[in-house]
Amino acid sequence: MLVRARGLTKTFTGPGGMPVPVLHGVDLEVKGGEFVAVSGASGSGKSTLLNLVGLLEPSDAGEIWFGEERVSHLRRRAQARVRGGSIGYVFQSFMLLAGLTALDNVLLAARYVGRERGEARREALRLMERMAVAHRIDHYPAQLSGGEQQRVAYCRAVLNQPPLVLADEPTGNLDDEHARVILAELHALAAEHGAAVVLVTHRREASAGADRVLRLEQGRLVTS
Amino acid sequence: MRVRELLPRGYAFTIVGIAVGVAGLVALGAMAERITRFIDGGDRFVLGQISVAGEGMGMGTGFTAGGLLSAAKIAEIAAVPGVSGVQAQVMMPLNTSTSQFLTLTQELVFGMDLTVPIPNRHYRELPVRTGRPLRPADRRVTVLGADFAASRRLGVGASIALGGQDFAVVGILDKTFTAPDKFALVSIDDARELWLRRDPLLVQVFGAGSLRRGDLNTGAAVGWAAGQDPDALARRIQASVPGVNVTIPGEVSQLLRQSTAFFSALLLGIGALGLLIGGLSLSNTVTAAVFERIRDFGVKRALGATDMHLLREVLGEALGVSLSGGVAGVLLALGIGAAVDARVIRDGQQLFLFSPRLLAFAVVFSVVLGGLAAGYATLRIARLSPAEAIRRGG
Repeated sequence: MLVRARGLTKTFTGPGGMPVPVLHGVDLEVKGGEFVAVSGASGSGKSTLLNLVGLLEPSDAGEIWFGEERVSHLRRRAQARVRGGSIGYVFQSFMLLAGLTALDNVLLAARYVGRERGEARREALRLMERMAVAHRIDHYPAQLSGGEQQRVAYCRAVLNQPPLVLADEPTGNLDDEHARVILAELHALAAEHGAAVVLVTHRREASAGADRVLRLEQGRLVTS
Repeated sequence: MRVRELLPRGYAFTIVGIAVGVAGLVALGAMAERITRFIDGGDRFVLGQISVAGEGMGMGTGFTAGGLLSAAKIAEIAAVPGVSGVQAQVMMPLNTSTSQFLTLTQELVFGMDLTVPIPNRHYRELPVRTGRPLRPADRRVTVLGADFAASRRLGVGASIALGGQDFAVVGILDKTFTAPDKFALVSIDDARELWLRRDPLLVQVFGAGSLRRGDLNTGAAVGWAAGQDPDALARRIQASVPGVNVTIPGEVSQLLRQSTAFFSALLLGIGALGLLIGGLSLSNTVTAAVFERIRDFGVKRALGATDMHLLREVLGEALGVSLSGGVAGVLLALGIGAAVDARVIRDGQQLFLFSPRLLAFAVVFSVVLGGLAAGYATLRIARLSPAEAIRRGG
């Protein structure tokens, strides 16, 4: 098992200090090469679950294991190492850095894992060629269409060939054609490269073809 | 680290913000430097010589006493034990008016007896920027102070009317930021001639035969021999030579300091204000620029950046941005100072003195404060989880 989450609990603080419980003891296991889709109503905690599994946010309770390593309880620096080397993120709103070109945005993933720049650049260019954005390498995000931005963001997410890719509504801001491209790449990632892919979406068609479809209801995961 | 990483896109506004703050700091500092140099210059002058004048109307002291100092009195002063030299001088305002109160802040015609070395220990010679200094045999030539020449756009070879007589400009002094900047130096014979032409009463006295040209002195600069206490010597001169007005260097210096105490306090206030305004502007601009990028920090941490990675990147950027802003601010202040001084120099004034120490301080100040502000903001952001940083960054 590549990723195991046990008893993940998360409560946010609402207006006036009121507690807003989101996740109640969620368990999740994902194998390498498996494509798991997580659906649920808006506000059901899908993104929160992804943030916890991706070590972007600490849980209130519970554990996360990567293989034999309990990563949820690592120190900040060690968690940063896990994020950089083992997890790729694809966000709904792309999250490209406005001050960097498309190529530099992709290369950002290599910067913090100590990867040799020349080798990373070659890999980045190969990926951007594959995603049909190679002609945009010197363009800044504001000069790219939404579809192009997401393809650049996808290149960044997989540059280091992470064993786990977390995609949070990656097609939410895309038209159908671009959404199909991104989804096809994520499926290929799992099938051809053995990566575990967890896709959060509220679009039923995005879940099609997933190995498993889970649903978040009242803070708990249920099989759909 | 590449230049693009040191100065990433979108920092132009930050650099402008820093530049404005630094320009304010430098401009205020340059005004303070200007006043400080003037006060220090005056202090150095009075501590470098004993000034003696004839007893006059009592409207001032030393050179400004208003009485004649005759050649006989000068000889008596020179004979006082401990005196190393006495230089007769004639000092008069360039422009006479109904109110002839002589001060060292107005334009003066200054005649010196150049057959005697300048006795002032701190001004053995007046530094000449262009042309040549005055020589003992010179007649109808002048060496002008820097402001005096600049306000009239005069250079070496030009001609100027002093007291209705034409003088050839043979030299321009270096800027001293004190009284000599407004002097027109001439030989003492020329100065005496101008004095006679200007003052009808003096002509009557002179014509009666009771005075010789050598008696026409407004004062004298007195030097002291090595090892002599100038204040004690000044008192000895006062006691042994009747009918003269002697300044005690230490007392005059103290009086000068007391009378400029208000300016010293003002300078302190200006300096503190400059640091406060410039510092707040700079740190606020840098901090705001870092907080604006809170989402970027969240994304970078999602990509594996540690706190040290972020701190190093931000400090590198802050260094580039603060340095650029600091240098731009210095250039802006220099430009503003040059424009303002170009206007006020017509009145023989200069408001700003951009000393190297001030400019260096401004750049170092902006870089250090920029780095501290950026470091503080980064550590604040680093406390957030990557997801929280992304959420707050919108």
